[in-house]
Amino acid sequence: MDINKIRLDFPFFAQNSTKKPQIYLDTACQSLRPQVVLDAMNRYYQLEPACGGRSMHHLSAAVSKQVDETRMAAARFFHASRKEEIIFTRNTTEGINIVANSLGLAAGDTVVISGKEHNSNLIPWQMLVRRAGINLKIIPPLPDGTFNIQEFEQFIASGVKLVSLGMTSNLDGVTIPAAEVVKAAHRAGALVLLDAAQAAPHRPIDVRSLDVDFLALSGHKMLGPSGTGILYGKYALLEKLSPFLVGGDTVATSTYDSCEFLPPPEKFEAGLQDYAGIYGLKAAFEYIQKVGFDFIQKQETSLNEFITGEISSLPGLTILGPADPKLRGGIINFTIEGIDSHRIALMLDQMAGVMVRSGQHCVHSWFNDRQIKGSVRASTYFYNTLEEAAVFVENLKKIRKVL
Amino acid sequence: MFCIISFIVLSILGIFSASNRELAREALDCVLRRVTLRPCTTGFDEKMKARILGVVITRSEGAARFLNRNFERLAWLFFGLLLASVIFAVRGLFLFYTTGSCNGANSTEFCVFDPTGANNQVSTTSQVCTIPVTPAQMTLNLKKIDLTQFPTLNPGSGDNLFMIACYHCEFSRKTYPIIRSLVDRFHIGLTFIHYPVKEPTDSFSKLAYCVNQLQPDKFWSFNDLMFEGDKANLDDPTYINGLLGKAGVDAKKVNACIADPATETAVKKQMEQVASTGFTGTPTIFYKDQVFVGPKPYRVYAIALRGFFYWLR
Repeated sequence: MDINKIRLDFPFFAQNSTKKPQIYLDTACQSLRPQVVLDAMNRYYQLEPACGGRSMHHLSAAVSKQVDETRMAAARFFHASRKEEIIFTRNTTEGINIVANSLGLAAGDTVVISGKEHNSNLIPWQMLVRRAGINLKIIPPLPDGTFNIQEFEQFIASGVKLVSLGMTSNLDGVTIPAAEVVKAAHRAGALVLLDAAQAAPHRPIDVRSLDVDFLALSGHKMLGPSGTGILYGKYALLEKLSPFLVGGDTVATSTYDSCEFLPPPEKFEAGLQDYAGIYGLKAAFEYIQKVGFDFIQKQETSLNEFITGEISSLPGLTILGPADPKLRGGIINFTIEGIDSHRIALMLDQMAGVMVRSGQHCVHSWFNDRQIKGSVRASTYFYNTLEEAAVFVENLKKIRKVL
Repeated sequence: MFCIISFIVLSILGIFSASNRELAREALDCVLRRVTLRPCTTGFDEKMKARILGVVITRSEGAARFLNRNFERLAWLFFGLLLASVIFAVRGLFLFYTTGSCNGANSTEFCVFDPTGANNQVSTTSQVCTIPVTPAQMTLNLKKIDLTQFPTLNPGSGDNLFMIACYHCEFSRKTYPIIRSLVDRFHIGLTFIHYPVKEPTDSFSKLAYCVNQLQPDKFWSFNDLMFEGDKANLDDPTYINGLLGKAGVDAKKVNACIADPATETAVKKQMEQVASTGFTGTPTIFYKDQVFVGPKPYRVYAIALRGFFYWLR
């Protein structure tokens, strides 16, 4: 694939010729969007701005059809058994919260997470610890940031209700051995929820092959609109869950003192949906499929290898996670001794329009445990070029030299 | 320290830009934290430092290194300079308010509040007056002048202003009504000394002299009329005669007095005395040990007469 042709699909890059240079290395936070996604969203607002699944007129039918097609596209994308296993959410956080609050976890139940979880996969469980009295077990990562499968397997045998893990860490880009985790969990009778926010945009996920019970992800990290996400759940499990957020469009009928919930996925999709977002999400899935994960991973790896090779020897610089860039996907997260992470990020932006993330990346628990104030995270995607990576490296070296 | 400087600078810039207003708010939050002995947790100083370094490093790595190492020291230095600037600005504002000039009484140096120098303009005596004066060599004072020979309003007040002015001088014409209203408001005395700074006005000194000699009770009515109306008319003898008549002064007698050689001598003597004050142009006003050169705003004279809070009286 021709990277330059790909970049033409993204309006963001077109503005570089007229404005100051902009090098976007913050995809782990949110990806850029191709024109097809924007067009799809505009199509809803301009041509089909109606309610789906409610009214009987032709516009409503068109919206319902598009929502259904997006659900189908998502099901195909993740190899779900049926489209009804796909629930539209606002983001990964909402997906995890739906599971956390619908599973009926009670006092004494144990949930296992890792020591590198994003707040979205930590706080919901902390709340259940306080509210319902569940036990929360945290499996610390190995020193290089990789998942400690041995400790996990030992612990899981003791009886656990749910394992909830980030599939790929937004902290260091490390991907857990999801298949092994699921197998071990299922052997112990535990359900598995995977936070795929950082995995879904970068690697193929086959939920059936993985046999994962729940999978939550965000659209905005995989070329889709912000405010869109998906929660996958095995249909049989979804049927048993009590919906967490209820109201409009979740019920078939109601009386003054009771209601009859619709089957999944509707019973989890309360209120009017983000139809424009759903239109855009379908376009995003299709675009990623067109590009292909082979190209995405190849491009990310080459960028990460180049950046890692150039910066790892800088004095005082420590890359978080494993030394091998192949294990870190598109993420290069680092600290430089004695230099505040925000200062580095702001200077990169000021100097060359390089946009990276700084701070604790919503993994405060990991940073606070190690008393690290923050780090600088550059996260690449298939649309980034080696030239952009070189500008980042050059300016980072300059900062290191001067500060 | 950086927060304080930033707050002041950004507050000023914030007048013109919304983004700077937002930064000024952040700086204020930082300042409030610092003055209450809490750490600045907003990250404002770090953010600004990074932005500044980001700009400097692209131009000079050496300068960026120096700035990074000495950021706090430089912040203190700029704070000192800012403080000095503020002190000078406040001083300038105070001086402008009290003297009409940012740089002190009668200073003609540039003043931002009076960019045209309107408060210090005079019709100069240098080339055209009958009796040349050498101002730079003299200290402005009334010691060598016999003030009793000039018309004085409210002579018994014990508090007297002395005004050297010229009927034809536009700055005198601007100042005279102010002085008259001050005299009325504070019941002070006023001694008027006409000095002909413009050549065609030589005769006006004789005119004022004669009116005062012949009908001193009518002098102030006449004097007020001379400063009213269009000054272009002053060159018309008929107009002057009309003013004399309007003031109740016998024009024939006055004209005869003007033509009298003794008047010429007396006025010349008076002008020599006036020149000895060292004044450089009209209007020049003396009050006790203060001198006001040029048309000052009302408040400047009022403050000199009754103090800073004159408006309470």
